[in-house]
Amino acid sequence: MQTSSSGPRVAPRKSSRSRWDWGWLDGLLLLTMAIVIGFLVWRTDAVFKYQWKWSGIWPFIVRFDETSGRWVTNLLFDGLLTTLRLAFWGILLAGVIGTVMGLARTSQRLLFRLIGGGYVMLIRNIPPIVFVFVFVYFIASQIMPVLAIGNRVQTLPAFWQSTLAVLFGPVRMIDNFMLGLMCLSVFSGAYVTEIVRAGIQSVPASQIEAGKSLGFLKLDILRFIVLPQAWRNVLPPMAGQFIQLIKDSSLVSLVSIQELTFSAQDVQVTTQRVFEVFVFVAVVYFILCLSLSRLFAHMERRHARALK
Amino acid sequence: MKVLKRVLGAVALCLGAMVLIQPVHAEENLVDVIKKRGKLQVGIGAFVPWAMRDKQGQLIGFEVDVATKLAKDMGVQIELMPTAWDAIIPSMIAGKFDMLNGMSITPQRKEQIDFTVPYAISGQGVTASKQLASKLKWPEDYNNANVTFACRRGIAACKLIEDKWPKATLRQFDDDAIAFQEVINGNAHAVISSEPKPTFFTLKNPDRLFKPTAENVSNGEDAFGMRKANPAMMAYLNDWIGKNKDWIKQRHTYWFKTQEWAALVPQ
Repeated sequence: MQTSSSGPRVAPRKSSRSRWDWGWLDGLLLLTMAIVIGFLVWRTDAVFKYQWKWSGIWPFIVRFDETSGRWVTNLLFDGLLTTLRLAFWGILLAGVIGTVMGLARTSQRLLFRLIGGGYVMLIRNIPPIVFVFVFVYFIASQIMPVLAIGNRVQTLPAFWQSTLAVLFGPVRMIDNFMLGLMCLSVFSGAYVTEIVRAGIQSVPASQIEAGKSLGFLKLDILRFIVLPQAWRNVLPPMAGQFIQLIKDSSLVSLVSIQELTFSAQDVQVTTQRVFEVFVFVAVVYFILCLSLSRLFAHMERRHARALK
Repeated sequence: MKVLKRVLGAVALCLGAMVLIQPVHAEENLVDVIKKRGKLQVGIGAFVPWAMRDKQGQLIGFEVDVATKLAKDMGVQIELMPTAWDAIIPSMIAGKFDMLNGMSITPQRKEQIDFTVPYAISGQGVTASKQLASKLKWPEDYNNANVTFACRRGIAACKLIEDKWPKATLRQFDDDAIAFQEVINGNAHAVISSEPKPTFFTLKNPDRLFKPTAENVSNGEDAFGMRKANPAMMAYLNDWIGKNKDWIKQRHTYWFKTQEWAALVPQ
């Protein structure tokens, strides 16, 4: 994510040569790439006896419903929606957990530092897959029945039910979704914590001292001095972590959270079109992550402009 | 010291909270629990033709029929919970659903869960790579370190291969279709899986696959599985199986012996 323009500013060059001027080197590079890709495709085709057939998977994205005469979404699309919801709420929750824990980790008080440190230490030193299993079977299976989110939602008025359905997915799947969300955000929160800590520590002590001498309250120092500067400093690594979160969301398919990867596996089993589904899912994740990284690049540029 | 006291206090508080949220798992009569809830929750793993998706994205298949009829006879709604097959036993033990359908009875699984009487027979069949295995004699030549078997992780066939061909290399995959693809590509000699899949794949890829034996490698008994120590539920299910033998048999024939359902599934 080196797209930031926060480095030393160089005046735009006046020469007529634009950045995209075509040179012989570009041609050579393109030609080499084409040859390599062509060779790979040819080799794959020779070694890999597989009849590609895409027609089976399209109906699982959207299909035409004959009884209602309308186009409706199907398994893969619904899975994608769940992944999007997981990503949205996951980023929000992991951000909150990470900020709170990051503050705890840089706190003056030992107890808070211990809590924040313990949390990060515990999660950062367990492989993600193991964490998912431990969390779901040992921790969440204690918490979820007590919360009984699904049952509670079903007693709500219809208006709230439909609102929640838009935000968190179909009501009957809400427990399933919440489980995945908890797992993902607790896990990613630990990495966000470390980024937040680094951000807070990157703010020079003199800034805080200046705030104190101006008579700012502790909370105001945090709000107006520390966090805004910290946020700007950690934007690039934070973007990386949130993109990582989207990709990590595929891990919860292991515990049967019905997101894109899990739906894709169901479709694979049914249609036997394993590789078509793989390719499709890869493209979808790529587009998702790329959009997010463009969004963050845009935010970085805006911050850099605001600094001028 | 002050700090230490606080830390200890916090730890004690956490432990207290954990004890408070513990007691959910004291299992009462499961049949009553299900009827009170009004919903039978069944864990189901995707396998053709046990459970798969139709063109509408809905679950169909032999086990779907069985679970639906069972719930109807209990007078409750059915909730099918699609679950990753290799995590299906821990998921049930963790209480995510009441029971699971169509699992082959094995001694290893019996240590963890209880099985009802079997209600279906499922055979394990084999298909092999023409390129690699056409000269091998079934089954003795396959017990060789140069021979590679493929199977889907977590199914009974993997254990079967380890027992019958201990010298052969076993490669396990998350997905049946990938295990078969490895044999089609000539990266593994043979794959064992529940019939009718091996036969079906052999027919579809006649130039690359062949069946070393038309007979089943082994026959398994499929039953309902549930958490241990549930006598009421066990009695109910065994009774239900006894009463519905003919119906189950007819559904089994439909899903396993005919291809009438093929039009329901996108190809």
